[in-house]
Amino acid sequence: MKLIEIKKILEAEVLTGEYNPETEIEIGCSSDLMSEILAFGKPGSILLTSLTNIQVINTANVSDIKVVCFVMGKIPDENIINLARKNDVIVFITKLTTFESCGRLYKNGLKSCSYFDLDK
Amino acid sequence: MDNNKTTTKIQELTYELKVEEVMCTDVETVGPKMPVSQLRDVLYNKRISGVPVVNDNELVGIVSIEDFIKCLEQEEMNALVEDKMTKNIKTLYADEPLVHAIMKFEKYGFGRFPVISRKDKKLVGIITKSDIIKGILKKLESVYHDEEERRYRASHIFNDIIADEVFLKFQYFVEGKNFDKAGEASTGLKKTLYRLGLSPDIIRRAAISTYEAEINIVAYTDGGEITAYIDPHQIKIIITDKGPGIPDVEKALQPGFSTAPGWVRELGFGAGMGLPNIKKFTDKMTLRSTVEKGTHLEIIIKLSDYRIED
Amino acid sequence: MNLKDIVQKLDLKVVSGDIDKEISAGYSSDLLSDVIANAQQDNIWITLQIHVNIVAVANLQELAGIILVNGREPEEATLKKAEQENIPILLTELSTFEIVGKLYEMGIHGNR
Repeated sequence: MKLIEIKKILEAEVLTGEYNPETEIEIGCSSDLMSEILAFGKPGSILLTSLTNIQVINTANVSDIKVVCFVMGKIPDENIINLARKNDVIVFITKLTTFESCGRLYKNGLKSCSYFDLDK
Repeated sequence: MDNNKTTTKIQELTYELKVEEVMCTDVETVGPKMPVSQLRDVLYNKRISGVPVVNDNELVGIVSIEDFIKCLEQEEMNALVEDKMTKNIKTLYADEPLVHAIMKFEKYGFGRFPVISRKDKKLVGIITKSDIIKGILKKLESVYHDEEERRYRASHIFNDIIADEVFLKFQYFVEGKNFDKAGEASTGLKKTLYRLGLSPDIIRRAAISTYEAEINIVAYTDGGEITAYIDPHQIKIIITDKGPGIPDVEKALQPGFSTAPGWVRELGFGAGMGLPNIKKFTDKMTLRSTVEKGTHLEIIIKLSDYRIED
Repeated sequence: MNLKDIVQKLDLKVVSGDIDKEISAGYSSDLLSDVIANAQQDNIWITLQIHVNIVAVANLQELAGIILVNGREPEEATLKKAEQENIPILLTELSTFEIVGKLYEMGIHGNR
């Protein structure tokens, strides 16, 4: 799914400036526990979370996750945005809940990363 | 796969690059009162197919070789440029991303767009499709060159050093209880491993496991050290701290077991998955801990697929 | 939508509670404070937390039930408490993203 479609579906705003709307995102994952994302997040996926701190960006960075979407209208502070920019992580925000966001994306065809096919 | 990657990089560049970075600033212009007959020399001498018409620094139109040919056919060579030029012109702002220019070229099918400054609307340049292509290629080359040079230098280090055994050592110091800085060591190591030319999967596994260990230092101790040793066969990472130590190591390794305080949990960690995660992503993990003395964690990731380039 | 239908359709394993309940909407979160603040009555709650406190939160918010994801099982104390309080705990091997997606496809939406 193209990033521009994801943005539309989530009614999201982009906080990291210019981005490539054609970027293909295949997989969605959601958790508020970063260890869970570290364990099963897939490279190139989008992470949906209601947690807003700098460690969400570090987690995305070390896991090669391209896009982080903060849900429920939570606005990350400037440090978070700056770190994201520095590490080429795209940051979205949406007013929707985690449930609504995941539901819409799944219904529109975004795939899930399974916990049980770890690539190691 | 590789093809896709290149396309994406070029697309990214069209968002990063601004019109002013690729446009031609040395713009030939003509005045509105010039007779069409004189256009031939301007267009022919400069080998251009169109030229902006400027009156007192202000862009008033654009006149092209097609306009000239029309006048030639209709024997109107004495007409003034201002009567034959296109007046309702489409322009680009100098600070617009290149992708806007590309979209305009597609939409209108013109050969060129005058570029004006957003501030005072004065003509500052002109852009053609070939300027765009040249600009992207130039940028692509420099981006590629910088990173490749770093990677080349780093990834050949094992070949260039003459010794019976070689290893590289990278050391990072981690502050305890400072969550704002947590992650700096592991993301730094990640970048370093990338420059060494290791495979993305290896880098990711090393970065994730180091990151979990770094979070542990920050969450539970007053600080520690992360030292990575890299040789052609493996990455060995040693994570040490000076306490308080883990009372029951076996229990700490069970998924879900956690002694994390509330503040750690609210930050998205402390669900008892850190050590199990480290174990999952590494080939070997050794954990030793003495209460009140400190913890010593050693992890190894094998580089079986690490090719030493010729 | 009734919790019974969901259990059947999504092949959830029921480990506690009475599942004959109507569901208002879905809520997904792994932060208890967030659930206390934002979940609504009769929501079905999706989480990976297995600590006994999840039962207290579900009770407090009068949630319809809890789905534990990624193959997690509740701690012993959690299970005991859930039986006491008659809170349905359901298990799935699917991830949060996927189970939420499947619930959404069945017509369960997020809170507005």
